[in-house]
Amino acid sequence: MNVASLLVELVLMPLVAFVVGLAMVLMMRRIAARLQRRVGPPFFQPLFDIVKLYGKHTQTSHGLVHDLGIVMAVGGYIAAETMLPVPGMTGIADKGGLVVLAYVMMVPSLGLALGVGQCANPNGSIGISRALTAMLAYDVPFIIVIFGVAFHFGSSNLITIAAAQQAAGIAGWGVSQMPLLALAGLFALHGMLGKQPFEIYVAPAEIATGPMVEMSGKHMGGLFVMQCFQLYTAAVLYVTLFLGGGENWLSFLAKSFAVLAVPVSLAYLFPRYRTEDLVRLMWKWPTMIGLLGLAFLMH
Amino acid sequence: MTSLSDIPVIQTPPEAPARGGNPLANVFDDFIRYCRSRSLFMLHYCTGCGAIELPPAMTSRFDMERIGIQPMVTPRQADILLVTGYVSVKTLKRIILTYEQMASPKYVIGICSCTVNGGMYWQSYATAKKLNDYLPVDLYIAGCMPRPEAVIEGLKALRDNIEAGTSDNWKDYYQRYDHYLGNQQRLFGADWQTPTEVIAEAKHYGLFGPDTLGEHTRRLEDHRKPLEPLRMTLNAGRLEHME
Amino acid sequence: MTPLDTLYLASAATLAAMLVLGDWRRAGVLATLMYGVQLALLFTMQRTGSTSFDLSALGFELSWRFDALSWFFAVVTLGTAFFASWYGAGEWLRAYTGRRRLFQSALAANVFAMLLLLGSGDLLTLFVGWEATSWAGFLLMALAGGLARDAALRYLVYAMAGAMALLGALVVLFQAGGSFSYEAARATLAAMAPGPLWALIILFGLGFGAKLALLPLHLWQAAAYSETPAPGSVFLGGVVGRMGLFALALVLVGLIGIPHLQALAVPFTFLTAQDVVAWVAALTVVLPTYTALKQNDARYLLAWHGIGQGGYMLLGLIVGSALGSAGGLLHVINYAATQATLLMVVFGVRHRVGHTDLNRLGGLVARMPLSFLALLLGIISLAGLPPMSGFVSKWMVYSSLIQDGRPFLFLAAIVGTLGTILSVYKLIHNLFLGQLRAEHEQLNEAPLSMLIPMLATATLAFVTGVAPGLVLGWVADAQAAIGLPVIDYTLGGIASPRASLDMLWVVGVMFAGFGVGALLFYGAGGKTHRVHQLDNYAGGHFLDAGMRYHYSDNFYAGLMHLIGGWYRGSFHWLEGAIGSGLSLVAQGAGGWYRAINPAFYLLAASVALIAWVAL
Repeated sequence: MNVASLLVELVLMPLVAFVVGLAMVLMMRRIAARLQRRVGPPFFQPLFDIVKLYGKHTQTSHGLVHDLGIVMAVGGYIAAETMLPVPGMTGIADKGGLVVLAYVMMVPSLGLALGVGQCANPNGSIGISRALTAMLAYDVPFIIVIFGVAFHFGSSNLITIAAAQQAAGIAGWGVSQMPLLALAGLFALHGMLGKQPFEIYVAPAEIATGPMVEMSGKHMGGLFVMQCFQLYTAAVLYVTLFLGGGENWLSFLAKSFAVLAVPVSLAYLFPRYRTEDLVRLMWKWPTMIGLLGLAFLMH
Repeated sequence: MTSLSDIPVIQTPPEAPARGGNPLANVFDDFIRYCRSRSLFMLHYCTGCGAIELPPAMTSRFDMERIGIQPMVTPRQADILLVTGYVSVKTLKRIILTYEQMASPKYVIGICSCTVNGGMYWQSYATAKKLNDYLPVDLYIAGCMPRPEAVIEGLKALRDNIEAGTSDNWKDYYQRYDHYLGNQQRLFGADWQTPTEVIAEAKHYGLFGPDTLGEHTRRLEDHRKPLEPLRMTLNAGRLEHME
Repeated sequence: MTPLDTLYLASAATLAAMLVLGDWRRAGVLATLMYGVQLALLFTMQRTGSTSFDLSALGFELSWRFDALSWFFAVVTLGTAFFASWYGAGEWLRAYTGRRRLFQSALAANVFAMLLLLGSGDLLTLFVGWEATSWAGFLLMALAGGLARDAALRYLVYAMAGAMALLGALVVLFQAGGSFSYEAARATLAAMAPGPLWALIILFGLGFGAKLALLPLHLWQAAAYSETPAPGSVFLGGVVGRMGLFALALVLVGLIGIPHLQALAVPFTFLTAQDVVAWVAALTVVLPTYTALKQNDARYLLAWHGIGQGGYMLLGLIVGSALGSAGGLLHVINYAATQATLLMVVFGVRHRVGHTDLNRLGGLVARMPLSFLALLLGIISLAGLPPMSGFVSKWMVYSSLIQDGRPFLFLAAIVGTLGTILSVYKLIHNLFLGQLRAEHEQLNEAPLSMLIPMLATATLAFVTGVAPGLVLGWVADAQAAIGLPVIDYTLGGIASPRASLDMLWVVGVMFAGFGVGALLFYGAGGKTHRVHQLDNYAGGHFLDAGMRYHYSDNFYAGLMHLIGGWYRGSFHWLEGAIGSGLSLVAQGAGGWYRAINPAFYLLAASVALIAWVAL
């Protein structure tokens, strides 16, 4: 691959991720609205929200770390997108792999946590403490899934994993080969998205949206952008691990949206768990399913 | 000492927004304004019975989200401050703090007759009668209480005003801060202050008007404790020593 | 004179100089320079096969030599000593009220003793060096008095028990092979029956594990390392515990060998000796990390993490593959830079504020921004996130566990990392973020003499994270020295079809991403306006300076609701049970001895001795 086409990919991949992410946000809000028998937001609503927030006249900041936290949160995801292979573009996916991607994805969360900390609002700090606890909860099944997939395909390189599945057809997809791990992965994915019932760290009526409590203007706008990336990354990662990755854009996007629709549809049917119940749930069911899947896989 | 009520309050109408000759000159601003009008985050400060009309306006029956309006939780996130009923003196302090913590452009909507003229609490010693004495109200939705249809209608009117650029009373709060502060001081006493910094913000964003400063803000300067943002510094001790 | 002789001479000269000039007010500068000279000497030395003097005592040959493994650990030792000493050379030393000569000498003695240990050319020298290191360590831990003395005495009990175990192991080995040389030991061990070999592994494990603070020998470490004066704590925390890893690498990997450990099965189970060691390491990762999560003193929090990070090193090493063992060894140097940075920042805060209680601080970023930066880089590295060096070594350990097909060890390693992330966020939040207390508004940044070394070690941790190839060469040589498969590396990391890592690209793209993020933030949208920390959402409440609006105590309350009950203090119970058991036996024996005619016992013992000698 020559330098010019690599550069184009590095620019295009986050851009595509953002646009698809906007559509995913729209889908999420539409699904929520339909489940609640509402009409839901207009088509461009996610874009309006972001432009509005960036276009606020006064932008309240609590200091340099508050600003840099948002920079890290958005920037970290932009970097993560280039490690996630999509149809026709691989970016730098071969330089890192699954484990690197999993850790690069923690950088935006760390940035957000730092920014929130600087706001000097205890609601925000409580939110972060809960968000990190939730991360500890859902990462246990997630890590089991990562291990299983990397072990099954004999590589932690996402390009190799996707290529192996595409070569074998639907029977060779991760979901057919490792159904239990795929189920555990879906569970972990749901936790990772931080949607109901796993949104204790936002808990609007209790801790005033936790991490977002002091976010206004483009700080909030940055978080909206981050949400687009987050939805996209989670869905695409799942598709790459279990649903054969992307052969072409059409099937790739269809699969990604379908994957995301599952947790999003479930989300609005449940009230939220308390922190310790969330941890208990995540360490019990998805972890057990994942370990069972691993046991089948390795023997 | 002059009595607070003797200090004249200057009432000037808000300036009309300047329009350029070239229709394309403002296309970017128009786009931003359009997005602003289409995405309104609402903080409902539910002081009175009007609050009961908001859930139906938000949920499946009337669904505010289809016109881009969402409830938000903290003033930092919100664009609209919705005051839904009578405003007692004690509550008004919180409303003002909440309003000052919101990021501009911000809009105030008074729902129910109580915010217009005190409504059935007209004779109460403990309620503020006219909300627009203390905050720049963009829109009143009168009624006791207004139906959800009326609320939606009002919000649509606000949306159209924002799109047309005629709803920028938030600037008035910076430009005539002395006026609003005067009314607030009259109600709360001369030592009234919030932990927010309206004057510094007006200075920072060039929103100073002829009446931003005045007799009342001087009174504020006299007694208040300074709340300058914490600057990042390597030797705070020495800095303090030099001062 | 060989280069190694020169190095030992320089190290001894440092010790002598500190013994004589330790009270001089520029003694810290002198010591730093002399550590610098030692470091320079080390770099001029060849990495493999430098020998030094031999001694003959009581018919035994004592010899000192350096191989690539010794050299690698010596670099970490001298590097940490250099920066720790620099940290304590300026304003810290002027403010230090303890006995300076004792302190400076203790630090120099530690370095000298550790170099002796690293250079040991046979098992007897290893024991001599081990004892010297233990006692020098005790001196450094105890000199602050008070709590430090108690902690040091506790350490001493562990160290002595470990030394006895080590002595026992050496006796067994000598009896079996008749020599203390490594070659003879290697041959003896290769031919040894499983029973005695197990005994040896346990004895060596107890001996060296006490220093590395492997479970369940870890209880002494946090307090002993935390209560030492700042540069001493940095040195202890950064590198001293790693001597245990060096010795374990030498004996378990170098002498016994990973294949032998894999072949040695635990009776009646599916486990092998390798699994047992790996699981001890994994538990050492997980349990102390979650103990750290509960600490309310920044120094103790870091010290507990130090114990946990030691587990990663042993875990990687014992996996034995090129990738895993390289990760384990690389983590030694990465961790040293990281932990030194973190401890320097925390002691810098202590220097300014007077304490490190995480519940009584906050918001210091506005007053100590450079310390914040150093701590931020440090915690990213400790938590093992890119772009810092801690990520690279941990990634190598994880990848080797995946390749080896060890899901539970992998899970344990990651759970340890997640716990680290939780706990380091608490550290940076409670120290530097949140509300600045009114009494801290006049604080100054840490003095320059403390800032420079902390930023330097943070930079080192960053540079070796971006270009791990810079130090992977040393690691590869060390691997070769103890007979491990050698890692195939590039400047940016590892290139292998099964797991590749190129940090140059990863970091490059990450910073490009941050650049775009910054462009979006600063380029788009209006300019920001800074507000005071009291201009804050409190549900409409008016905040004022007298009001604490900060969340610090019991930071992970939700998690603790679930796992709080799992902290049973079992190891404290075990320690107490062994202690009281021993004292009961001792009392009983003493009482019995006094109650019945002692002459009879003397006679019986003499007869038994004569009978044993005669037979």
